[in-house]
Amino acid sequence: MQHRLIQSVGIAWTILYSVFIIWIYATEPRSFKEVAAGAQAATGTYEIDQGRFNAALDMFHREQFRAAREEWQLADPGMRDARTQFYIAYAFYREGWGRVYYDKELFKQGLDAVNRAINLAPEGTLAIDDPDLQMHTAAELKAELEKGLEPSLGDINPFKVFRKRK
Amino acid sequence: MNPVQRSRNRALMRFVLLPMIFLTVALLGGLRIDIDTHAFIFIPPPLITLILSVLLMILFVRGHAIELRRWVTSEQPTLTNISHVLTLLTLYFASAQALNSVLPERGLIFWLFSFFFLWTLWNNQFSNFDARRLLRSLAVLFGTAFFLKHMFLASLFSPEGGWAKKVAGFLLEVGTLGTLDYQVFAPATGYISFFTLALYVGGLILLTPSPEPEEGSAFALLRAYQNLPPLERMAVRASIAGMQDNQPALPQEVSMETETIEIKGELVEAESEETQGRMQN
Repeated sequence: MQHRLIQSVGIAWTILYSVFIIWIYATEPRSFKEVAAGAQAATGTYEIDQGRFNAALDMFHREQFRAAREEWQLADPGMRDARTQFYIAYAFYREGWGRVYYDKELFKQGLDAVNRAINLAPEGTLAIDDPDLQMHTAAELKAELEKGLEPSLGDINPFKVFRKRK
Repeated sequence: MNPVQRSRNRALMRFVLLPMIFLTVALLGGLRIDIDTHAFIFIPPPLITLILSVLLMILFVRGHAIELRRWVTSEQPTLTNISHVLTLLTLYFASAQALNSVLPERGLIFWLFSFFFLWTLWNNQFSNFDARRLLRSLAVLFGTAFFLKHMFLASLFSPEGGWAKKVAGFLLEVGTLGTLDYQVFAPATGYISFFTLALYVGGLILLTPSPEPEEGSAFALLRAYQNLPPLERMAVRASIAGMQDNQPALPQEVSMETETIEIKGELVEAESEETQGRMQN
């Protein structure tokens, strides 16, 4: 009887551990924090730090984009919240936007973040109701970031200095 | 320790501890640490490691490190068989990940290492191994690969090295027309790999050829004898003959058989096996 119990526990433990390893290799977390956040997301208990999120939003409104991004990353260490990822992408967009040229490196990171937001959003659509923003959906933001990364004849147009940041 | 406790401990080791060890190896074998950000990088086992792992499993069976017929048999309950199959599966993936841990990640060096592993394991298929020799051979094989990857190559391509090291790395890169393409990781990667390999070898030491020990069976002794190289077989026979000299005389028939083994066993292999067959009967 005891033998059977040990066998059953062994089988259950082996299967659970195997599933955990497969999950780790599938999600590729980059730190222990991400492992914990991923586990919380898998069990449906993941929540972002709302206090940090609001603090980051204030910084974003004061145009402190880099600080805002860092705060949002702390609020959402597992990168599991679509709204936070959308704002991170927006911060990359606003910081990378320039009258004469766009910072392509920042735009690339913004594109990664907005793609994450789209993947996390239910059915891939995400709309944010924030009067400070001029692009309210992830699709608009993605299109704007992609436009900034693609070279075009418009890049040599001198009138582009009159364009407006969204 | 009474037999019940001994049996329980054996069961705990076989059904819980061994799978846990091998699964931990499977988890850590693909883990690298990024040199700049110190972030985790999980590298799944490349296809070649799965193939090498198959060769390794065949080697375990051929070297009698695993008596497959005793691990999975119709005489055992289903639950035991399931548990044994799972343990063997974890061993397979642990072997693949232990190889992944000592193989470079890409470029010419990856293929060179893979080729040498393939060559060694393929050659070993045709060698005479017993479980202990096989384990020693594998420990040396993995140890050498570990030294080359995590000490020699890591030191050669380390960004923190002196100018001489950088020049040597550069010349090596140029000499191979840029095909070397070695990926540098944080030093912690070497420590993780060392721990992984130690755990893997530890798991292999704990892995017994058969799940339950063969108590009082002469067949196990015979199998062990058959796996010995010719010189050691001769030493065993000489030792048995020496013991027999000190014992009172055997009946005529048995004594004749012993002589047959002594005189013909080594030179004519077929007759030796025939004699052993007679001994079993």
